[in-house]
Amino acid sequence: MKLRDFLRDRWLSAAAVLVSSLFAAALLAALGAGAYAAGYVAALFVLGEIAALAVEYFQKRSFYAKLLDSLEHLDKKHLIAEMLPEPAFTEGKILCGVVSRAGKSMNDEIAKYRGEAKDYREYVETWMHEIKTPISACRLILENNPGSLSRSLGKDFDRIENYVEQALFYARSGSVEKDYVLKRCSLRRLVSSTVKKHAALLIESGVKVETDSLDLPVLADAKWTEFVIGQILINAVKYRRNAPAVRFAGTRGRDSVTLTVEDNGIGIPQKDLGRVFEKGFTGENGRMVARSTGLGLYLCRRLCGKMGLGLSIASIQGDGTAVSIVFPLSGMYGVVDAGPPGKAGRLTKT
Amino acid sequence: MAVVFLVEDDEAIRTELSRLLCRYGYDCRTSDDYANMVDVILRESPQLVLLDLNLPVYDGYCVCRELRRRSQIPVIIVTSRDSDADELMSMNLGADDFITKPYHTQILLARIAAVLKRAYPAAPPQILSHKGLELDLARGVARYRGKSAELTKNEIKILQLLIRNRGRVLSRGELMNALWQTDEFIDDNTLTVNVNRLRRKLEGIGLEDYLITKRGCGYLV
Repeated sequence: MKLRDFLRDRWLSAAAVLVSSLFAAALLAALGAGAYAAGYVAALFVLGEIAALAVEYFQKRSFYAKLLDSLEHLDKKHLIAEMLPEPAFTEGKILCGVVSRAGKSMNDEIAKYRGEAKDYREYVETWMHEIKTPISACRLILENNPGSLSRSLGKDFDRIENYVEQALFYARSGSVEKDYVLKRCSLRRLVSSTVKKHAALLIESGVKVETDSLDLPVLADAKWTEFVIGQILINAVKYRRNAPAVRFAGTRGRDSVTLTVEDNGIGIPQKDLGRVFEKGFTGENGRMVARSTGLGLYLCRRLCGKMGLGLSIASIQGDGTAVSIVFPLSGMYGVVDAGPPGKAGRLTKT
Repeated sequence: MAVVFLVEDDEAIRTELSRLLCRYGYDCRTSDDYANMVDVILRESPQLVLLDLNLPVYDGYCVCRELRRRSQIPVIIVTSRDSDADELMSMNLGADDFITKPYHTQILLARIAAVLKRAYPAAPPQILSHKGLELDLARGVARYRGKSAELTKNEIKILQLLIRNRGRVLSRGELMNALWQTDEFIDDNTLTVNVNRLRRKLEGIGLEDYLITKRGCGYLV
């Protein structure tokens, strides 16, 4: 609060005091009190006003300075009500009352939506778990009644399962709660259980699977990471060419372990490469080659971001695509958690 | 024949899983008396219990706890709840393994075999036989009229699968899938090599035309 702005607000009262002191002085002079007495009274009036204004100015300046300072340093500005200094003047008290009521109403509103989002998420999770029972039953029926019909139905069950899983992870990726656990696991186990899960699809499409130096420990949530690898694998199958092959290779860097999933598929056009992690982006391949929802890689990025893993993609059109997951080693031998959720800043695109 | 007791409230899964287990050589028992499930299980004295968590009357945790209190029967929890908390809780209650739905049937069978082997190391070796051929799974040996041949891991797996599905053509994809489930990500050519080598070994012990190739379909014994 600048002095000039303060005085501009107070000009009426200052002018009134000035005018009334002049009138008082004029009256005293007219009554014959003498110029000194008149001047003395007028000066008294003016000095009193100046003192009063000065006290008020400093009081308000310190209050608003504190208020603005706390606002500046607050991460979530809507929590300012909790940080208000106790003001000594009425306007300040009114302001504080208003701000804290507004803040409370805002918090209630947020709590309401948070509750609704949580309810919905819980419903979705329950639904996902319920749907798994009939899917399991169908799978067993197919297994017990082998034949060509069962084989083709089996493929569609794989697709259903993949969509259900995608929805489950979509619900999880958006939640504010941290529901993953970073644990030490072997890169080989992560890769091989994903490959086994998608075995039918890979075999059916004639994809050759190669692995190279995967005996490296990494820090990750197994279920989440297997989902991410699975999405990459499904893409490799979707956008394959003749004699398709997928190669999993682990490399150990100074402070990270990188898993590279390389295919020899149709690749991604240069102009689309920068956008493949965007939600709903399908690109030329998605439109021309296979039906794409634009969700797979988006989810991969979200989940990796939450776990603190890096995710990058490189591709040459007509030659193949390589997706790399970078597992930081920091924290591997100490803290279990490798970083706060939602840190997608490490994402790189090449 | 190992007796497996299946506790599962979904009727379709109960029926189909029993059929599957029967086909793979287990004697599968079930019950829908959920109020006295533990008593029923103990009366049947199975070698293994497959337990679902979401059950009427008492949930799977209760059954598992009670079962552990009264006996040492191995328990595998098979459930659609897939959180770490559920897995931890199951292990704390003394379950021997934890599998989430929807499971790959080959994985389920492998886990059942592993738990049984761990719990009953002295059990008699499992021997499969079909048309005079005896396949000793523990030793990895095929025997026919006094002659025997040693088989590799992949060959045992292939022959075992063919015998279990005797009389039915198994596609190359199905065979490959089963091999992949044992971490052998073999390709088409390797499967051909494995099958041909197996056929030659079988011919070597006098089993000509035992393993039949159905062109474009798969294999059959």
